[in-house]
Amino acid sequence: MTTQQELSNLLGRVALKDRAAFADVYRATSSKLYGITLRILRRPDLADEVLQEVYVKVWDRAADFDPKIASPITWLATIARNRALDEVRKKRPESIEDYPELLDVASGEETALAAVMRGEDGKRLADCLSRLEDGKRQMVVLAYCEGLSRDELAEKYGQPANTIKTWLRRSLAQLKGCLGS
Amino acid sequence: MNEHDDIDGLAAEYVLGTLTLSERTSVAARRQREHALDAAIIDWEHRLAPLNAAITEVVPPGDTFAKIESRLRNSVPGTGASVVELKKRIKIWRTTAIAASALAASLILTLGAIQFAPKPKTKNLVAVLQKDAASPAFLVSVNVDDRVMTVRPVAAKHEAGKSFELWIIHDSLGKPKSLGVIDEVQPTRGATLASYRADVIEGSTYAVTLEPEGGSPSGDPTGPVVFAGKMIEASDF
Repeated sequence: MTTQQELSNLLGRVALKDRAAFADVYRATSSKLYGITLRILRRPDLADEVLQEVYVKVWDRAADFDPKIASPITWLATIARNRALDEVRKKRPESIEDYPELLDVASGEETALAAVMRGEDGKRLADCLSRLEDGKRQMVVLAYCEGLSRDELAEKYGQPANTIKTWLRRSLAQLKGCLGS
Repeated sequence: MNEHDDIDGLAAEYVLGTLTLSERTSVAARRQREHALDAAIIDWEHRLAPLNAAITEVVPPGDTFAKIESRLRNSVPGTGASVVELKKRIKIWRTTAIAASALAASLILTLGAIQFAPKPKTKNLVAVLQKDAASPAFLVSVNVDDRVMTVRPVAAKHEAGKSFELWIIHDSLGKPKSLGVIDEVQPTRGATLASYRADVIEGSTYAVTLEPEGGSPSGDPTGPVVFAGKMIEASDF
């Protein structure tokens, strides 16, 4: 298990173009980042392709990593999420109806929240999420973890996309208020 | 309320991932010039990051890392590209003598001094260590014959409780090797490169990291790289 401090140091060495450190970063984080790209893209071929681009970006941009701004795993996960989300918005032509497992998320959501609650920040976030109405909480977790767009959420919840936008913004504002208090 | 009014809502949805591709592209471009939006995005990344723990880890295919490595070999190193850029800039500075900029002037003077040094046969190398092409921070010059290296601060800013440490990076060296802590006010001069081969000195990347005061406690770089660059022959100018 690589600690966050060790991972920070490794990224510092990657910024210096240290290949061995890069391999260590890959070993320590690739399963998490592949989990993220696969969950959002749902196609192993695309998820693998995006994962490769993510690590090339990590190699090129490791000097931008600043431990004062983000933890190393958050920095890495953000790169993976952004790249996967850009790709899925380009490429996902299928209807959400093709993914029946997404329509039944209640149990998955509970598991998700249990995992989130392991860390100190996670406990606060899970607590604040639990204060949202059931449907809204589910929508936020689904959007983040599965990479669903407003249109896909609209289809799932049988609401116009604009209503979804309003719900999301209100829920996020409520979440921010709760986390800030 | 339009998107410009609700910067925080837009940032939140960007991080949540629910925006369309065109909205995402627009936000990614806007955050480059709108500090408030960029800061709001970073705050939201931090707020929602614990949700990453909910994502099940999946081991990627076995050949993925090899594919990544082959892409690295084919990629142009960032520092190399900026050296080319810098050479162009310095040529422009020299030929058009835009000496109005104190920074440009100091660089030209320094480079001039190296180029027209009293011993004309001596091979001199210089590297400008910078974060990007517009902001050089240290100028490293090396006399390859006697291995004496001089590091001149150009525009580095001191951070309380921190030291700048210089590293040499070359495939043949394995790990980055420390060339010592460098001063951000006075030039640092010494024979720290005495044990390195000339081709290694010439082909290496030089990088500055921000370390705890007095330098890295472990002997390996621990802080972020703040400046980097490669050597070019002074006679190239």
